[in-house]
Amino acid sequence: MTAAEALAEWSTSDWSANRLSQRGQGVGDSRSRNGLDDRDAIVGNVNVKSVAAVIEAKAHAAQCTIAFVTEQVVNELRSICGDAAVLREPVQLMTYECDALPHLRETPAVVVLPSSAAEVQRVVQLCSSSGVPFVARGHGTGLSGGALPVPGGVVISLARLNRVLDVDIPNRRVTVEPGVTNLEITRQVAPFGYYYAPDPSSQQVCSIGGNVAENSGGAHCLKYGFTVHHVLEVEAVMPDGELVRIGSSLPDAPGPDLLGLLIGSEGTLAVVTKVVVRILRKPEMVQTLLAAYNSTSDAGAAVSEIIAAGIVPAAVEMMDALAIRAAEAAVHPNFPPADTVLIVELDGPVAEVRELFATVEGICRRTGSTVVEVAQNDEQRMRIWRGRKAAFAAMGRVSPNYYVQDGVVPRTKLPEVLGRIRALSQRSGLGIGNVFHAGDGNLHPLICYDERIAGQAALAEEVAGEILTYCVEAGGSITGEHGVGADKKEYMPRMFSADDLDAMQQVRDAVDPQRLCNPGKVLPTPRLCGEVPGPYREHPVEQAGLAERF
Amino acid sequence: MSASDLLRAGTAEDRVDGEVPPQVAEPDSPEQFAAALKYASEAKLPTVIRGGGTKLAWGRPPSTVDLVVSTARLARLIAHRHGDLTATVQAGMRLRDFNAALRAERQWLPVDSAFADATIGGIVATNDSGPSRHRNGTPRDLVIGITLALTDGRLVKAGGTVVKNVAGYDLGKLVSGSHGTLAGIVDVTFKLVPIPPASATLVAHYKDAAALTRDVSALDASQIEPAAFDVRMSDEAAPFQLKLRIATSPAARDAQIAAARGLVSGEATVLTDMAESAAWAAQIDAPWRGDAAVRFSWLPSRLPQVLALLTEIQHSGAVSVTFVGRVLGAGLARLSGEVAAVAAAVQRLRASGDVGNVILLRGSRALKQAVDVWGPPRSSDTVLRALKQMFDPAGILNAGRGPI
Repeated sequence: MTAAEALAEWSTSDWSANRLSQRGQGVGDSRSRNGLDDRDAIVGNVNVKSVAAVIEAKAHAAQCTIAFVTEQVVNELRSICGDAAVLREPVQLMTYECDALPHLRETPAVVVLPSSAAEVQRVVQLCSSSGVPFVARGHGTGLSGGALPVPGGVVISLARLNRVLDVDIPNRRVTVEPGVTNLEITRQVAPFGYYYAPDPSSQQVCSIGGNVAENSGGAHCLKYGFTVHHVLEVEAVMPDGELVRIGSSLPDAPGPDLLGLLIGSEGTLAVVTKVVVRILRKPEMVQTLLAAYNSTSDAGAAVSEIIAAGIVPAAVEMMDALAIRAAEAAVHPNFPPADTVLIVELDGPVAEVRELFATVEGICRRTGSTVVEVAQNDEQRMRIWRGRKAAFAAMGRVSPNYYVQDGVVPRTKLPEVLGRIRALSQRSGLGIGNVFHAGDGNLHPLICYDERIAGQAALAEEVAGEILTYCVEAGGSITGEHGVGADKKEYMPRMFSADDLDAMQQVRDAVDPQRLCNPGKVLPTPRLCGEVPGPYREHPVEQAGLAERF
Repeated sequence: MSASDLLRAGTAEDRVDGEVPPQVAEPDSPEQFAAALKYASEAKLPTVIRGGGTKLAWGRPPSTVDLVVSTARLARLIAHRHGDLTATVQAGMRLRDFNAALRAERQWLPVDSAFADATIGGIVATNDSGPSRHRNGTPRDLVIGITLALTDGRLVKAGGTVVKNVAGYDLGKLVSGSHGTLAGIVDVTFKLVPIPPASATLVAHYKDAAALTRDVSALDASQIEPAAFDVRMSDEAAPFQLKLRIATSPAARDAQIAAARGLVSGEATVLTDMAESAAWAAQIDAPWRGDAAVRFSWLPSRLPQVLALLTEIQHSGAVSVTFVGRVLGAGLARLSGEVAAVAAAVQRLRASGDVGNVILLRGSRALKQAVDVWGPPRSSDTVLRALKQMFDPAGILNAGRGPI
């Protein structure tokens, strides 16, 4: 297929109509052109980079046999999983158009809901032999468009693989299928005094398969680490349909840490069908305090002193005035009046928590905290966390729309970066609430805007992008926990050189030479499989005058 | 400067498992490191990357080594961001020098090594660990960023300098445990931990394994949070031993040591200061004082069966066993005896349903010819081979020796 044919097909297919119908409905497709120089360029009604990416995927089809779903493929999917497990009606497909980042939407040709690893394997084998791109999906709570369908491709929903296969308390291991929710693991083992440590705020609904894809963390990852530190082994279907076990439920699997590569690869290297996790004993004691401050920098100084004292709290969270106001309006946690609140939680053996908690309390008072409230019981502790965890959704109480950003800075750069964000808020005229994991420097600025005011949505997205620049300039990252997905892949060159990204692309191509497994995610505009990495050279689509790079 | 300018002739000191390499490169910049690998790849020279040279005998015996690339001149601490609890260090720096530098801010990289000259690069490449993994995991759990020298001459990085970061593929994890088969490790960024202000170790001795495993279970089920928790089996009068280290604030240490003492039936002593560090140094060193060292793992609840299996091997009379194990299910056994008997012991471990991931880390060439170093193939090997082909298309890195 030539690029021109690809473009012609693109412009007449159903999914392009769908894509264009989405244009202008969300911030994703109405980006301002006055902002950062490496954003997608919109010419007329067409987002050139998106078009180029699709054409590239299609031109790639000529070399790597990418195709789209045919009736024959649909019939074979039905014979593998049963008629009821294959969804094609537009109204059914709508559910799968996006994950929890609703401004990025694509319609798949078909959604299939296998009920076993063997069915997943046969579905992937079919996609591989037919050259059809496929996207695995958990419960759709991702915040970076990681489960965004490929238009015209297959979505493999793992929602029906939701069995807890083994609870092994003596060995502190639980084996689950990928559609089991994060919190379900804790529910299974709580009666025995155990829990599963990673606790993303979506833990009630997010799937463990999605957690593996995204290397999910949570408020307590400062002390306990991320999904990668708690998953021992997975069973996975590789992009060619091979079913393999990666890692080991015993320690010290020999050889390169393939499991560590797979976790956090955002569904681009395999479809996970089984996960063995380790569980931890519930700590003997948990103690939480909330300290009110007149400034973010005073609260930041307290965090630095806590770390300098050699204390690694279970969680250290901060909220600024706007976030506090929103939380109060929504869930009334009764936070004391403050510019900034700091929440510190310690857990562990009683003697240790008591001793260190006294130190933390002293540091908070010494660094100028106006009020220190120590939770005296579980109810009070829950109230503090309710205020913190409600902060995102609560922004709806103070702003018609808001944009959640996810960036990371080294902890010591927090005051500097927060200062820049404050100045940006003043300059842009948009309110920015800050809720963040202060212990590990993971910021979640909440950018307030009103989509009814022309240009504000685009401005909000531009502001969100600017904040990522501050994070990278401070030595941080463009994402701490939401992932790159489809949303941030064009920001990757801010963190990584062309060589870095080429090496990652080569890793991907080694594992998925056909580029069928969740294409269009993580790495910027894909290269052709035969294209040699190196300095920029004109793409055939550009040579044909069909698109330009900006 | 061309890559060949970096070369010198190999000497007896450069031996790789007995083989003297004809050429040695000692790059003093990351670019030279990458250039050396590119030169080797283009010339198709079987190449071994060398750090402190402490684990060069690990892996299958080499058929040919044409080039050793040493990281000895890439041994700089690049940055210690103590307020962020992170540090970036070049691969050739020795672990002990790195930790000596971090100690100024009461921080450390919580990794143990039996070898004084072990370097950061070698530790990551082998994912080698010791008792401290009980609390802090193995090196792969601590790597947050990496720079690699590829065989095509490029320097690439992955991860970054912040602990929380999910941007891009985690190539730092991928090379952990790769034994130098994929790329050269140029520098590594780690998350660090504070050195606890107080510590003490409870040591208990037992005449029989059942009493030891009962105590291990009781301690494991308690709310005590050890920094390290080991068992040991040797051919002494009271052959079984447990060591439990508490490292925390002073009052918490005393409370937890007292609680642990209350749960232990064996004859117990509490060690602190120099005696404590000497005891752990001996524990880490114990598996390496013989001809052969075997690494293996098990499910924690199978510890009684593991001890029974090792006792059975010991009682066969042909092999002497010293075993050091982490209660979480990972250990090393020192096996001494005739080659055939030691080989049979390794096969006995591999045949057992109670242990897995059995690797012969150290052994004579004859022993390595009698039993495979890495053990049976795994279902994920095809994926690893595809990655090996991508990173090292000429197949030069640790050729024929490593796990892939």
